[in-house]
Amino acid sequence: MTTYHLRVNGRDHAVDTDPDTPLLYVLRNDLQLNGAKFGCGLGQCGACTVTLGGEAVMSCLVPVSVVGNRAVGTVEGLGTAKAPGVLQQAFIAEQAAQCGYCIAGMMMRAESLLAKNPKPTDAQIRQHMMPNLCRCGTHMRILRAVRRAADALPAKGGKA
Amino acid sequence: MTAGLESPRRRQLLAAAGSLTMVFAVKPAWAQDETPMNKGKLPGSLEKEPWLDAWIRIDADNRITVFTGKAELGQGIKTALLQVAAEELLVAPGRITLVTADTARTPNEGYTAGSHSMQDSGTALRHAAAQVRQILGELAARRFGIGAPAVTVRDGVFQAPDGRRASYGELLAGQQLHLRCNPAIPVRAPEGHTVAGKPLQRIDIPAKVTGGVAYVQDLRLPNMVHGRVVRPPTPGARLLDVDTAAVARLPGVLKVVRDGRFLAVIADGEYRAVKAAAALAKATRWDTPATLPADTRPAPMVRAWPAKPYPILERGVPGSAGRTLAAMYSKPFQLHASIGPSCAVAQLVNGQYTVWTHSQGVYPLRDALSELLGADKATIRCIHTEGSGCYGHNAADDVAADAALLARAFPGRPVRVQWMREDENGWEPFGPAMLTSARATLDGAGKIVDWQYDVWSPPHNTRPGKAGNLLAATHLDKPFKPDTPTPSPQPEGSGDRNAIPYYVLPNARVVHQFQDTIPLRSSALRSLGAYCNVFSIESFMDELAHAANVDPVAFRLRNLADPRAIDVVRAAAKKFGWDSYKNTPRRGRGFAFARYKNLAAFCAIALEVEVARDTGMVRITRAVAAVDCGEVVNPDGVRNQIEGGIIQSASWTLLERIRFDERRILTRDWAQYPILRFNQVPERLEVEIIDRPGQPFLGTGEASQGPTGAAIANAIADACGLRLRDLPLDRARLRAGR
Amino acid sequence: MDPAPRPRTPQRRTRLIVLAVLVLMAAAAFAIMWRPAIEAQTAVPVFDAATVERGQRLAMVGTCAACHTVDPSRPYAGGFALATPFGTVYSTNITPDARTGIGGWSEAAFTRALREGVSRDGHLLYPAFPYDHYTQLAQDDIRAMYAYFMTRPALEAPAHKNEMTFPFGFRPLVAFWNMLYLKREPWQPVAGQSAEWNRGAYLSVALAHCTACHTPRTKLGGTDFSRHLDGGEAEGWYVPALNEHNPSPVPWTRDHLAEYLRTGIAPDHAVAGGPMQASVENLRLADPKDIDAIATYIHSFLAKAPPRQTRAAVPGSLPAPAADDPDLQRMQLGHAVYANSCARCHEVGRDNTSGAALQLQKAVALYDPDPRSLIHIVRDGIAPPDGEPARWMPAFANILTDEQTGALAAYLRRYGAGQPQWEHIEDQVKKAKQP
Repeated sequence: MTTYHLRVNGRDHAVDTDPDTPLLYVLRNDLQLNGAKFGCGLGQCGACTVTLGGEAVMSCLVPVSVVGNRAVGTVEGLGTAKAPGVLQQAFIAEQAAQCGYCIAGMMMRAESLLAKNPKPTDAQIRQHMMPNLCRCGTHMRILRAVRRAADALPAKGGKA
Repeated sequence: MTAGLESPRRRQLLAAAGSLTMVFAVKPAWAQDETPMNKGKLPGSLEKEPWLDAWIRIDADNRITVFTGKAELGQGIKTALLQVAAEELLVAPGRITLVTADTARTPNEGYTAGSHSMQDSGTALRHAAAQVRQILGELAARRFGIGAPAVTVRDGVFQAPDGRRASYGELLAGQQLHLRCNPAIPVRAPEGHTVAGKPLQRIDIPAKVTGGVAYVQDLRLPNMVHGRVVRPPTPGARLLDVDTAAVARLPGVLKVVRDGRFLAVIADGEYRAVKAAAALAKATRWDTPATLPADTRPAPMVRAWPAKPYPILERGVPGSAGRTLAAMYSKPFQLHASIGPSCAVAQLVNGQYTVWTHSQGVYPLRDALSELLGADKATIRCIHTEGSGCYGHNAADDVAADAALLARAFPGRPVRVQWMREDENGWEPFGPAMLTSARATLDGAGKIVDWQYDVWSPPHNTRPGKAGNLLAATHLDKPFKPDTPTPSPQPEGSGDRNAIPYYVLPNARVVHQFQDTIPLRSSALRSLGAYCNVFSIESFMDELAHAANVDPVAFRLRNLADPRAIDVVRAAAKKFGWDSYKNTPRRGRGFAFARYKNLAAFCAIALEVEVARDTGMVRITRAVAAVDCGEVVNPDGVRNQIEGGIIQSASWTLLERIRFDERRILTRDWAQYPILRFNQVPERLEVEIIDRPGQPFLGTGEASQGPTGAAIANAIADACGLRLRDLPLDRARLRAGR
Repeated sequence: MDPAPRPRTPQRRTRLIVLAVLVLMAAAAFAIMWRPAIEAQTAVPVFDAATVERGQRLAMVGTCAACHTVDPSRPYAGGFALATPFGTVYSTNITPDARTGIGGWSEAAFTRALREGVSRDGHLLYPAFPYDHYTQLAQDDIRAMYAYFMTRPALEAPAHKNEMTFPFGFRPLVAFWNMLYLKREPWQPVAGQSAEWNRGAYLSVALAHCTACHTPRTKLGGTDFSRHLDGGEAEGWYVPALNEHNPSPVPWTRDHLAEYLRTGIAPDHAVAGGPMQASVENLRLADPKDIDAIATYIHSFLAKAPPRQTRAAVPGSLPAPAADDPDLQRMQLGHAVYANSCARCHEVGRDNTSGAALQLQKAVALYDPDPRSLIHIVRDGIAPPDGEPARWMPAFANILTDEQTGALAAYLRRYGAGQPQWEHIEDQVKKAKQP
């Protein structure tokens, strides 16, 4: 067991865990953050997507020991149920969920696009979301929600 | 399945309600004796659970709790039921707390499956809530000393013309309505609806997009420990030996469990459990004989299994003259492939088991666990807690059994068991491989004068009720044997669901060739046999239309009698622009229609595909669905289910096939079992709902799977002349052309 | 009055001679660089099914789609960006679209493109299109492939502008490259070799163009014929030598190689990644007998690789760095990255999934003369083609920092392969990040 200092959603945390523990388990079990989810543990489905240094990553593949001082972003950092952020508002407005299990990962995947390109084309959104799976078939609404969030953001970019 | 009168809470309710009759001098006309006088069939699940206070409680502080035996599977049922209850109780939905399937608290409504939730629970709640409101209105009138019609109500408060008020909670003063439902009480007319039938945002979505606790996977109980099960490498594997000593010494490992072929570890941290399980797997030696078929092509494989014929339709006289066509269609084993592998938490404390599970049926699960654990049902409580979408009988019950067994081996602390991706893909009950044969004769005028249809199918229902239908139970040292599956009777059916076409066929025979013994475990996958049967029948209808030289939509209209069916067919065709469609290179259109189970929702689909034969890629450019599900409670929910069903069915149809060799399942992850990604989702998808206020609710969640499969096959045939009859219509098949 | 005639001074004569030579050279250059247009055909010929099918099989060996198909929904529509030392070349639309594809190309025009690298309208093609290989094809084979391409669905896709570094944007310069590197000789079988070997040789040299990547190129981008199959590079990857310098720690058998070409996987040995992935996607659809023949041919060179001292035969976990390792800090970082990121799949494995991955002592990339391919594999992963089942290694580009990636490469080289350390690993990591 080693102590790791992580910066998650802008806050510092100290976590005692084994060096090979994937970030996904640290977020869920040590920090009680529910957004990132276990889907496969193999980086194939995206349910565990978070941002690391602004890039979307599969947190099931990130051992906590490589994170270092890079900023970790999860869906909890986008807003709360009482004060949802732009992306969250868009997903609620579009009712973009059926079982909803994939949605937090979808949102962080979208967040990594909108943070770099606040005005993506529909084709760019579709292409960017490829690594994330949805089994319920909510894709059309997810695309509309990302589109809606992009339309709501200022052109220069801003936190989604 | 008897109602849960034996639960302690129910006895309390009865005792409390006993005082109700003392409140009134005269027994009100609406009260009923405990001995059933009114023998008419009660609406929906009220038939099984007629007591009003089983469904609705109103506390003295005006908190309203509504109970349903159904479960939220992500289909939005919680919100829809809330709307139904709120409509009849005349309160804002936000005032109501909805409690879902819990063997200690809610009515027993069996499984949340078969698209029955609105028909069973929605109907029950509608009538129960209507009656509760009526009773409250009478109580208010009595209190005000005026006639009932003079009383107005708003947001849970009754008011007399002179301004006196009484809230629901005040009127009941802590008592509950232990009264049998009177089915004669009318429900609110649809024209006056303010909540039901209107869009209402789903109550579960805000937590899901902000990282709230929403799933059984998110449950964190004090002192919780983590379990992982090591499953055999192949379905037929025998355990030779296992060295548990080294594993038991790994960091964090609290216990290694071995019972026959059932091997598991319990650890104090989740990832430690994962690593310990991997180490345990490495420390195990198995004999892995070949127990699976050598030829895994679905058509010959299914045909080779023994089958017992169940004729389900014999009408008219066979042997009419005309032009006869015949075709056979097949479908492989397919996965539920839930994004979140199944999970459960169980604890054994003071002789009481509590299991948090996303099983579709908490009451049947409890029965099975009772048998498995050798424990009295009264000592087991199963609480439905939402998981990721299950789409039928996935591993939810199996993991609940794993957790219960580990809780028994490690009592006093909650044990959380999470299946890994390989576990889910390798061991969930599969959607079965099927084979169908269609044969029809057309007369000179293009009418279908003879019809013969056979469907070979393994079981679509091996759900627990019996312990032997739980995976772990079959691996124990004293194993339980799985139930001998039987076909479900028509009109619901199982493998033969939707095997009887909805068309007018004067001479027709349909046979369900039921196969109860196959080398793999199969069970219910969303829409059961309907997906393959509608795929087959609607593909065959196109082949017949082509032979008769009639437009496929016109051909269907010719053979339909039900005006609601005709309406959806026309609506889909019109919205698609069927009559004015012009083929462009590489593109074609396809149409299909079915009424789910011939008694639930009507659904017609028209879509266009673009086919690249060289690479085998098929893209859906545009899809249109028309659906009639009776009176619509939550229109957005209907849309979501139909859209989702179309995309999921497109994935089944274009990509999905469980692959195995003689020993093992090969499709253990998303790399080996790809499902539809964003690049293959339709460019455009529209759903038109035909609302029928006043008509009974019709199950919708499975209505679009079958028609989508056939519409895609028909569109591919139109685009490039390739009539494909064996699912999936994947890239390899499109390249090969057969 | 007549001006006096100017005397023919020696300078002036020299100038005239120089001018004459320049004009002659210009004329010669023009003659070298200019090619006539072939008239566009308007009627598309009809082809018999057997010829089309033969052409399809051959096109799979030619791996045409690897460059000419970007979007699997639009086969052969072109648009693939190939980075070369001379700029970025985009592949063109080779569907029979009349306006934006080769719909107007006669068989003669098609043949000239394959044999001489000249487009129908006379402009010279960049040798990113390997006509210096196709030039040796038998006419029957060219004819069959022509039949195949002319019967594909026509797609509208105008050519993407190339981005060449000056002066290579001036296409006629390619004529000079052709003088050096385009050998217009018909294919000759080699006496003393089996029929299968010769078939494989023909297919490999003239169609599959293996040496286009597997043989080094000269500074001018031509094949270095003196170093046949001595390795090369493609799209930022090191491409292994297929002769006695082949780096593989496990000797290749012919059957291994055939299976690898057909499926992309040689069990317990290698997985096709990077540019080779696209090749395999085509080869697996070729006539299996032709793939066997190519394997026989290539293996005849591979078999010359001598047995090596490697750690491949040492099973089990990769060890922690030795306490006296001169580069201990970097090795410890690399080992930590390996143990925490890679070992989960590459050692313990998870049964029957993509997670059951190759033990890295056997991984060819660790034995390459430079770390480029390893760095690409780690950063980009190896993913299945759209909607088709295959093995899947995830991408670690955004997970590992540059320092972690470099340390991992150094550690694996020493403690995985037991080979002399690579130089300039950090530079290679930086280069791999450029698009």
